[in-house]
This record gives sequence, structure tokens and C-alpha cells, in this order.
Amino acid sequence: MESIRLLLVDDEEDFRTTLASRLKRRNIDVTDVGSGNEAIELIRERSFDVAVLDIKMPGMDGIETLKHLKKIAPLVEVILLTGHGSVEAGIEGMRLGAYDYLMKPYNVKDLLLKVEDAYRRKLLEESQQRTQQRT
Amino acid sequence: MPGGNCLKRLNSGLNSRLKPAVVGWLNLFRRKRSSKDTFSPDTLSNLFRFKYSCFKMLLDSNAEFLKVISDIEERLQGQQVFGMSYVRSRAAQAVFHALRMVKNLDDLSGHRYTLLFDILEKINLKIKEALGKRKEIPPTELILPYLQINAEMVDWVGGKNANLGEIHNRVHLPIPRGFAITTRAFESFMVRNELFDEISKKKVGIDPDNPETINTTSEEIRQLITSAQVPAELEDAILLAYAKLAEDSGIRVSMRSSATGEDSELSYAGQYLSKLNVPSDQIIHAYKEVVASLYTPRAIAYRLNKGIRDEDVAMSVACLQMVESAASGVMYSRNPFNLLEENIIITAVWGLGPYAVEGVITPDSYTVGKNRQTIAAEISHKIVKLISKPDGDLIEVPVADDLQDKPCLSQEEIDILVTYALKLEEHYGCPQDIEWALDKKKRLFILQSRPLRVEDYGKGYPITPVLTAYPLLIEKGRTASAGVGFGPAFHVVSDQDLLNFPDGAVLVARHSSPKFVMVMKKTRAIITDMGNIAGHMASLAREFSVPAIVNARVATATIPTGMEVTVDAYSGRVYQGIVPELESFQNACECPMKDTPVYRVLREVSDWIIPLHLLDPKSPNFTPSFCRSLHDISRMVHEFSYTEMFQLSDFVSDKKGVAFKLKVSIPLDLYVIDLGGGMTETNVHLNSVPPDKIASVPFNALLRGIMHEDFQKSQLRPVEFKGFLSVMREQMLSPPSKTERFGDRSYAIISDKYLNFSSRVGYHYSILDSYCSPTPGMNYITFSFKGGAADDIRRNRRVRAIAVILQSLDFTVEITGDRVDARYQKHECSLIEDRLDIIGRLLQFTRQMDMLMNNEASVEALAKNFLAGNYNLKNTATTRGQKSEVRSQESGGRNDSRKTPWD
Repeated sequence: MESIRLLLVDDEEDFRTTLASRLKRRNIDVTDVGSGNEAIELIRERSFDVAVLDIKMPGMDGIETLKHLKKIAPLVEVILLTGHGSVEAGIEGMRLGAYDYLMKPYNVKDLLLKVEDAYRRKLLEESQQRTQQRT
Repeated sequence: MPGGNCLKRLNSGLNSRLKPAVVGWLNLFRRKRSSKDTFSPDTLSNLFRFKYSCFKMLLDSNAEFLKVISDIEERLQGQQVFGMSYVRSRAAQAVFHALRMVKNLDDLSGHRYTLLFDILEKINLKIKEALGKRKEIPPTELILPYLQINAEMVDWVGGKNANLGEIHNRVHLPIPRGFAITTRAFESFMVRNELFDEISKKKVGIDPDNPETINTTSEEIRQLITSAQVPAELEDAILLAYAKLAEDSGIRVSMRSSATGEDSELSYAGQYLSKLNVPSDQIIHAYKEVVASLYTPRAIAYRLNKGIRDEDVAMSVACLQMVESAASGVMYSRNPFNLLEENIIITAVWGLGPYAVEGVITPDSYTVGKNRQTIAAEISHKIVKLISKPDGDLIEVPVADDLQDKPCLSQEEIDILVTYALKLEEHYGCPQDIEWALDKKKRLFILQSRPLRVEDYGKGYPITPVLTAYPLLIEKGRTASAGVGFGPAFHVVSDQDLLNFPDGAVLVARHSSPKFVMVMKKTRAIITDMGNIAGHMASLAREFSVPAIVNARVATATIPTGMEVTVDAYSGRVYQGIVPELESFQNACECPMKDTPVYRVLREVSDWIIPLHLLDPKSPNFTPSFCRSLHDISRMVHEFSYTEMFQLSDFVSDKKGVAFKLKVSIPLDLYVIDLGGGMTETNVHLNSVPPDKIASVPFNALLRGIMHEDFQKSQLRPVEFKGFLSVMREQMLSPPSKTERFGDRSYAIISDKYLNFSSRVGYHYSILDSYCSPTPGMNYITFSFKGGAADDIRRNRRVRAIAVILQSLDFTVEITGDRVDARYQKHECSLIEDRLDIIGRLLQFTRQMDMLMNNEASVEALAKNFLAGNYNLKNTATTRGQKSEVRSQESGGRNDSRKTPWD
């Protein structure tokens, strides 16, 4: 499998960088940013396979970010991270096309598995789109 | 397709920008049904894999959802203390998994189930409403004296503190003086030091596969906590409370963990730290140490495994004046060794309590009648005692000569203890197991009181006499959960029986099953012919305080449904009729939680989660708009997911150049779709492929089983008339759309290492997915088997027979109604192949299993026959369990030379 291009969006810097370094160790191509706005900017410029969004962020929250992100790059699979029992946000997010969501606390291994699954699904979508364009 | 009509309404026009490519294709398959269309194998391959990845996620969440339900049901028994944090986290989990199921069904169907999101949202709203009814005002106090604490405050002070408060304020008995350091204090300590953030960062370092990472992380976290600064106002509050307690006398205290939420039991189980004999200048440090014990490696691992969030646990601390025990002991408000007498038993030793229970010395023992008459007093020879040293350690010292044979308690003290025991039993509504202490000023204290679990004391021998005046039906069953229960017997064979289980009946079954958890609330007792006292059901029965006897051997034969019986699960006996002598022991325990507001919230929340209204997929009401609980949603999603999985295969099999019919000598309508490397050559013009051109490792293994010679020899099995009629009737009654599906068509989507096999061999459907490579970690088989003709009972018998077989092949198996989901993973390729071979045989074997499932014994007989390699169902048709067992042994069992995994 090629290296997965992952966009990690979380306002808590320490948490984000620790997680990013652990994911990098697993051979994932991680880019991390601290806000929804930065994420949107980045996704206009570069391609990603999977995005991991924290729902609770100041400014543009995870759900808003998800909406914009899906508009710009519909094929990116999004995994949401939720804390403090925000079930509603989870429902909303899944409806808006998030691939899945993880409730905190989760262990990195679970996240990793989800990222891989999401990536596989993204590849499927992509190749499907290519076939569609050919016919 | 069942429910097809209603689903049309579901196309509520999802925002097109969110519609990904696959969706377009899924819907294309649905619309265009012209044979002119051609589809590349790539397209199909992707579609199948996409659909299956959704299906798998859906099944995962289904299993998790059912676990949440049984957990809530356990708490609804009302015997375990829980707070709002429990209710909230369980509700969130239930919604989460229902949501995941809906989302994946919606995805795999091309967004034709968006309506289910609305319904889910509505139910979630109701749940939220119910949760919101209990407005908690979090305590602002950092410290609470016991005078202000009762059982309902468990979220603020933890289980241990809450119980002590209850004993002091509602039962009005003396407890050691002291105070609780609340969860508010805990929060302020953690937040002020930004410990929550620090800890969650540290926890990123945990790799559950590597226990060493848990140890190092635990150490780092505890180090963080103990070196943090307790906020000044908290320190002041603790020291002020201590000063009030000490009244300048420099007393020492014990600091005991009293965790909240789901960890509250861990406090009781001694998982968290307790510090004894703490002097005033070490109180603050001891506080931090107790708090830090929330993060011992064991506690971290426990929460990770159970999926408990850190936000949902908090540590309150019990700060109690050390009682300088002259004597101490344990007291039972009812004799646990002979239940026919209602006497109170008090045991006592000199010094500290542990010696009264640990068996180091024989304690004094007093037996006192409820009328306070001392019936027996056995004063033992007590040469040593346990005391605490000034530094807090416990040491053994000799007892002074003149005290060694002296009673530890005076008559007056015995009287007082008896009064306490009776009061506690009255307050909690059930017999109590009580710890007490007597200080040097001859004052008595209650240290703890909890429900008496009689089975802990019987040690396996009967503790009730045989009552000869009543007909004895079962004499030598084994006690799985002690107690007495009486009521009319009710036989449980299928899941349907569990759904119909009458309130107050006695459950009688052939095997014990953890599924009985569904009726634990309703049943008065459980009797099974077979079963294990250390099994899962046994522990559930104990958890729920339902008397249970296993290994009763002849229960299903001698106790018909409807017969009134009295179950004496203390001694493994069952009597016919009601036995008044035993009556007073039945369900002695009232449930202390049941009157609390928190319990009522859980009850209300669970009404939106647990009840299952949609039982029959054929009913016109089996539609999203009739879903009234999360359970309804999950049931419906599960049902529809199978239909959806087949739609694509059905369509594709008609296409030339994509699907190849497998050329075999047996009647098998099997189509093969190669994703790459699964076939060595194909004849596009003939649209068929012979088995020897299959190069897919897992498919070849499965085919070996399907084409096993035994099945080729005996094509037609005699069908018992009764069974045949039942299958016929079922077909006639099914709507036409359903009968259409009975074309025995199967599909194999393959690559060199991959197989997805969906089949409708016979009247059932099954979906198998497997990966078989040189890397064991990647390998798996998931197998789901569902539905079928014949009535529910037969269907369920077959599913259970399959479950028995798969379990004995080391599969992890979940049964839900007429469905069985099994998985086998991370094994070597050769083992995977063996299992696939057997599943192939199993698929053939089950072809007409329904018709043979006439009675309960057939479940095991068929499973046994199959596992013995005896695939000829001829003589098992009228199954007498034992008979066919003998048969299979005579015939040498395995008529198969291949090495099978059970060799």
C-alpha cells in the first residue's frame, strides 16, 4: 500500500503533534494543522486521502470544516473525533458524509485501523470514478 | 425484496455533491436492467469490495450494540450502584452503534435509507430529553461531611462514601467520623494543573498490544499527579476539615479511594489505593497518591478494554478517623450456612478485621436469634492479633495471656450489633454482610455493609435439608447461582421463547446460554439439563441474583411447561409445587437502586433503546417509520443489509464476460467473478469455468468442501413428511417477491487470496468473506448465515446447530434470532483453508437441515454428526440424540481421509 496522505486537524497542539508523530511512525504521510480554516486552505492546494477532524474546535468546528472539505474534495474520507458525548454532532457528521467517528478515548491502534479502512474505501471510490469517466 | 415498497419513499434526494461515485454506480445497477450493459471486472470488483466493507462495519456495530443492551439490562436489575455518568455513556454508545449501522446500510444501498437518519435523530432526541430530566447540580463543596451524604450522591462522592453516608444518615448507625473529598475537589485539582490534557497526551503513547507501554505510561501519569500542586483552597479545605475532626488531638486518618462511575466497583474490589494511619502532615500527599491510583496499569487497561472514557471516572476520597480497634469482625444478618434458620451470626477477633475473614485464627462465633436470644457462643483460643503500626503497616502481635480465651464481645455489645444488623437488613431489604469494629472506648462502628451472597459460604454442600413432604423432581443439580425461586416452568428453546417469556416463570432449558440475560428480570429461577457453574450464564445469574441450577440432566424431560415448581438452588433441588418452608428465601433482595431518580432516568432512557417491536420481517409494519427504539432500527438495518448484499450479485450474474458459471457435476448454480488472479484461464464464449482453472486459494478450499464426495453420493435425502410440509407452507405464505429468491444461486467473487462467497444454497442465505495469505495477521474468515424457510423454531434450531459446529472449530460466534455471525482470524493459511473446507461441507450439509429439525435433540445430534464427519443425514431425520451418536461412533466417525482441524 502506498503511504496514506492524512490531514490531521485538531486545535490542541500537543495532542496533535504527539498523535502525528505516532502515525508517522506507522508510515503514514501526516500533515497536521490547528484549525478548520487552515485545513480548508490546505485542501485546496494539495490532495489528501483521509482527514481526521476533531469536532470540538474554536472558530470553525469539525462539522463546519467537514462541510467545506467535502465540497472541495468529495472523495476525501473523513474520520471525526468526538469528546464529551456529542452524539448529535456525530449523527450530523455521518449524515454529511463522514466515514466514521471515534469517541474519545480511543487508542491509536483503533484510529489507525479506521484510517486504513477509510483509505481503502477512498481508493474504491476513486477507481470507480475513473471507470465512470471512461465510459 | 421485503420492505421494498416502503424504501422507494426513502429516496429523499440526498444532496448531490455528497453523492460519491460508488453511489452513482449502485443506483445504476438498480435502474438499468438491460443485458446490453457491460461492466468491467474492475468496476464490479470495486463495488463488491465497497459493499462488503460497509456490511462488515455494520455487523461489528450490531454486535457492539447488543452488548450495550445486555449491560443496561444488568443495571436495570437495580442491585448495582450507578450514577448519571453511567447512564449517559451507555446511551451515547447505543446511539453511536445504531448510527454506524444506519450509515453503513445507507452507504451500501446507494443512499436509499436516509429516512433512518431522521428516525434515529428523533429517538436520540427522546433519549436526550430523558437524560435532561435529571438536573444535577454539581456540588460546589470540595469537602462533604458524612452528615450531608446519602446513596444518591454517588457521582459526587463515589460508591464507598455514598454507602457510608447512607448508613449514617438514613439507617442512623455509627460510622467512623470523617469526611469525603468530593469529585469537585478532584476536578479542581486536575484542571488547575492541566492534568487531563497532560494525561490524554501521555495516553497517546499506549499501544494496547504492548503492555510495557501501559506500565511506563502509568508510571509517568502517576508521577505527574503526585508531583502536581493541590490548589490552595483545596488544601485549606482538607486541612480545615481534618482540624475539625482532630480537635487538636493529632489523630490519624485512613484515606480510602471512592471512585465514581463504572469504576466504583473497582474501589470495592481493592483495585485502588487506600492509605492507613495517615498523620496530619501527610494528608495532602496521601490524597494525591489515592488520586493517582486511578491510573495504575491495571486500571488503565481495565478502562481501555471496557471502553470507559476517562471523563466518566473521577476519584473521590474517604477520609476517616482511624478506629483503634480493640476487636473487630464480620456479621451476617442471616446464617449463610443454614438458610432454614433465621439467625444472626457474629464473628469477632481481637485487633483488626482482616484476621476475622482470612482464616489465620478461628474467631469467636455467636449465633443469635432474631428474638435476640443467644443460641450459641463459641469462644475460641486467640493467640495472635493484627494491629497497625504507627507508620501504617499492619503487623501481627501476640494477644495478652489473660485475653486469649476471653470473649471479644460483652452481652451488651452483642445486643447492639444484633440491633444494627436488623436495621441494616430492613433498610436495604435483603440479608447483609457487615464489617464492624469496636474501639478502645468500647464504641461500636459499622465500617461497611453489603448484600450477603450466600453462595459464597455454602462451599458446594447442601445448606438446606431435604424436605420429604414434597415431590422431589431434581435431586442433584449443581448450583450455578444460589437462592430459592418458585413459579410455573417455561421451556426455552429459541430466541422467540425468550421474547415471549412470561413474567415470574421458571426458565427450563437444555443448555445454559448467556442469552438468558434477556429474561433475567422476569425469571424466578433457571434450570438447565447441561451447563457449567463457571460458565457465562452462571455468572450472569449470580450477577442478577437469579437462582440457577445447571447439570440437572433431566429437567426438560421431567418438568413440563406450566408445572409449578420450587427451585432450591442452595442445594441443587427442585420440588413440585410451592414449598412454604423455602418460600421466605425467594428473591430476598429488594433492589436498592430502584427507588432512586438515577434509576428512573435509566429506565426511561432504556425504553428508547431496548424494546424490540419489529419482530417479523414479513409484517407490513417492518418499515423505518415503525421503528420506535434503537433496537428496532438495528434489527431492521441488519435484515435489509442482507437483501442489499444480494442485489448486485443477482444483477451481475446475467452479464456476459463478467460472471462465469462454475462447471461442476453436482447441481450448483454458482457464478464466479474474478477480481484478478483468481482463475488461470476462462472461456469467455462459453461463459463457464471448470474447477481446475480456479486459482484462488480460499475459493479452492471452500470448493473442496462443497464438492466433498459424500454429498455427491447422496443427492437426495429422505425428507420427513412433517418437516417437508412445514417448508412448503412457509413458501406458500411468503410474498412472491420472497419466493423468487429461492433460485439456488451462489456467487463467488475471487482473487488469488480473496473470496467473497454469497449463497442461497437451499433456503437460507449465507455470506462468507475470507482472505488467505502467507501472513497470518491478515487472514480471516467472516461467515454470516441467515434466514431460511421453515418456521421460526426450526430456523433457530438450525442456526444453533451451526453455531455449535463453528464454535467447536474455534470461531467466535454471535447468534441473533435466526442469524449467526461468526469470525475466525489471524491464523495460518492452512488453518484458514481447513475451516473453509468445512464451511463448504457445512453449506451442503445444511441444505435441508430445516426439515430435520423436529426437536431440540436434533440440534446437538446434527452438530455431533457433522463434527464426526458423518454427513449422511439419512438416519438422523427422526433424531434421537443418543442413537445417532452411537451410530456415528460405530461407523468410525470420520469417513474422510483428509486431515481435519479437529484431528
